Amino acid sequence: MKNSLRELRAARGWSQADLAGKLDVSRQSVNAIETGRYDPSLTLAFTISRLFGLPVEAIFSPDQETA
Amino acid sequence: MLDMGGSQAYDVKHTLQTHGEQTMASSTHEKRVGGAYLRELGGALLVYALLLVATIRFGRPMEPGALRTVVLLSPMLGFCLGLWAIARHLGRVDEYVRKYLLESFALGAALTAGLTFTYGFLETSGYPKLSMFAVWIVLCGATSLVLLVRSVLGRR
Repeated sequence: MKNSLRELRAARGWSQADLAGKLDVSRQSVNAIETGRYDPSLTLAFTISRLFGLPVEAIFSPDQETA
Repeated sequence: MLDMGGSQAYDVKHTLQTHGEQTMASSTHEKRVGGAYLRELGGALLVYALLLVATIRFGRPMEPGALRTVVLLSPMLGFCLGLWAIARHLGRVDEYVRKYLLESFALGAALTAGLTFTYGFLETSGYPKLSMFAVWIVLCGATSLVLLVRSVLGRR
């Protein structure tokens, strides 16, 4: 899964710790999501979506579109 | 000049904020979860240590029997409190950290099973018999090793 979390965070001038605090998760989780090492659960994906005011599919997209 | 300095200071601060991954600042979530874990695990270790000292002082000299066995087992109360603290910690951490820790515990347990099973064969071949306490030490060492290796590999 690809995501634009790093770009969205940078655009708001937030550090990973700032974003982690807003999402109530650890900084390691934000780092793991941004670097593609971890795909968040639906619950966390929707929390991220609400925080940035964007639909989930505008932030996350599959590596390769399936038929 | 002053304005220039202020601008540079802002740039440095902004860079640190924008590229927060370069800093190791903890989030409020980590501080809250970590604080609760330290308090609970610290309390459990304190109970364990007090019971262990009491057991050594009063339990060992007791006459053999059921009561002595119960007294000598009493430090396990602190140990169980420690397990409870770890279980509560796993319930509090976020989903990624929970997955990471459980994977590491599983790998540590698998490594321990392999090492202790191997040593069982070595005992048959004449190596000295070890106390079951050794399993706990191996488990702690194996889990720490897994966490260390994963941490180093994760920084690449």
